[in-house]
Amino acid sequence: MGRRLVMLALAGAGVAAVAGAVLFVPGEQGSQAAGAVPRTPAPEDPLTSQEVARATAIASAGSRAHMAAGRIELLYVERDDDKDAPVRRRADAYLYDYGTDRLIVRTVDLGRGRVVRETVTRGVQPPPSTAAETTAAELLLAHRQYGKGVRDAFAKAGGGRLGSAAELGLRGLIFTPTGEDGPARRCGVHRCLRLFVRLPDGTWLDTSRIVVDLSAKKIHTLEW
Amino acid sequence: MFLRLAPLALSCAVLTGGLIATYPTGAAGPAYAAPASAAHAPVRQVPGAREATSVTRAPATPCNAPYRIDRTLPNGARWQLCWEMRTVEGLALTKIVYTPRNGRATAVLRSTALAQIHVPYDKGEPRYHDIGALGHAAVPLRAADCPLGERREQFVCVTTRARGHAYLKSVPEEQSISAQGTDLVVFAAFQVGWYTYLAEWAFSDDGAITPRVGATGSLSGFTTTPQYGWPIGVGARSFEASHTHNIFWRLDFDVAGRADDVVEQYDFTGSGTTKRRIKRTTFTREAKAVSEPMRWWRVVDRRVHNTDRHRVSWEINNSDSDRYRGPADEAFTRADVYVTDYRSCERLASVNPSPRCADSVDRYVNGERLTDPVLWVNVGYHHVARDEDADPMPTHWQGFRITPRDVTARNPR
Repeated sequence: MGRRLVMLALAGAGVAAVAGAVLFVPGEQGSQAAGAVPRTPAPEDPLTSQEVARATAIASAGSRAHMAAGRIELLYVERDDDKDAPVRRRADAYLYDYGTDRLIVRTVDLGRGRVVRETVTRGVQPPPSTAAETTAAELLLAHRQYGKGVRDAFAKAGGGRLGSAAELGLRGLIFTPTGEDGPARRCGVHRCLRLFVRLPDGTWLDTSRIVVDLSAKKIHTLEW
Repeated sequence: MFLRLAPLALSCAVLTGGLIATYPTGAAGPAYAAPASAAHAPVRQVPGAREATSVTRAPATPCNAPYRIDRTLPNGARWQLCWEMRTVEGLALTKIVYTPRNGRATAVLRSTALAQIHVPYDKGEPRYHDIGALGHAAVPLRAADCPLGERREQFVCVTTRARGHAYLKSVPEEQSISAQGTDLVVFAAFQVGWYTYLAEWAFSDDGAITPRVGATGSLSGFTTTPQYGWPIGVGARSFEASHTHNIFWRLDFDVAGRADDVVEQYDFTGSGTTKRRIKRTTFTREAKAVSEPMRWWRVVDRRVHNTDRHRVSWEINNSDSDRYRGPADEAFTRADVYVTDYRSCERLASVNPSPRCADSVDRYVNGERLTDPVLWVNVGYHHVARDEDADPMPTHWQGFRITPRDVTARNPR
């Protein structure tokens, strides 16, 4: 899965002007990114690509330096579906701060053009973005033993010489430790992934014992 | 102006007191033009009951094309709903409204979506929580993947499908009375590692809803020792690891609107005896329930009745589960149905991605009084691989049934 370049629209009132700025936003927003036809969305419609861009700009306004430095990552933006919320269109932006291992969720009121709620927590891990999956694959390839294993398997599966992680089919799931004794215990606080790696012949590597610790930038091997 | 209200659709949906979604008979095309039969005569007022037939004003359309699904099936039953591909849950269905033939529209579910696919292996490890970002894992559907239907934004199929005999009744000296039933089917496919999951909701022309998930794709290829697997391939050297798919659905019922919904559990006492006495348990507080033979649940609106003056309700059956029970740190596997009070941040049955809420459904149940119940249904399927599973793996299905109970005063055929 690729990533999508989203040109930020000029933000509304209360938002720093970011004209011309370009952000990476996780690629497949499902139908959210596909609603390219400008129109007034109905209450249950997914976010339009314009709304995603606007929410991204508003939610990122206070974190731009950390985002540019790679410390804070925007995971995804989704429609706030809270039926207790007042009837107006809202979006939740999920950001992760690898510097402090904290999840930041900013709820954006799209009508008013501002953040109406911010929640900061530790130990809650939303699923990885496609960018995080790629980062995890790069860490895996940098591992002396596993990196060689992936490259050999890639070549054996007809892919030839592996140029980059982007050539692999990737899918990540959050890893939560349950009774592990080794370094993977740190994944209770760190952001850790299990990575599925698909090869050119359609087969998948057995990566079931490998955990990628994105916070520590390390690979853990589960002992079982 | 970024957000503007859509113009009111004056001719169709109405709200009664802002709580009951009802639709005027005859307002929605030929299916509603026929005069109501005696069985569908206007509701007689029950003390304290809400009037379910009066027509006041129309709300805005809840969603636009292509997210709107509005299908009248051949027998006249109509289903209206919205869909959305959400980042975490994948396909989510919202604002689900059922209109029986010649009947009035009634709101059923505010929303429903998958809430977890937990996959523990019999040998103890690995143990996956397969709902990551399902919305990123949606598989583009080919035309052939959506037979007789239409694809919405390439990931969602909306189609109809025969469901066999709706009924067949012999009549002496005459032809039998019979009809073939039809389902409206909405589904999407998700690739999670080796597995492809088909998440499907079937909306039948008799008002039943069948959520189910099919697992296909490929076996994981994890091998194990003979006590934890089944030999795949030549001879008995390689044993494919057995595992369970514990699939959770979240169902936010708003029966005829959000107010006055109550969850009841029904049991039939007596074993080894001739009689079976009905036993009703009303959940006033959040609850965990396990399935038992003959046990079922229903979400009933206390104040909305059909024309027989019986409370309108939707029944949930969950008798087809393998009922996996995990270790203490997987307590979310230890019940088959959970009932919680609505909170928007309670989204997944485990590894909940939203702050401000607990991590798993067993911990959502913390004694709160139920004012707006949400049901969580857990259906397990234990998969012991067989030679036929390779490759591609034939789809194995798991799911449950939601059926109308007293929504209409008789068979709305």
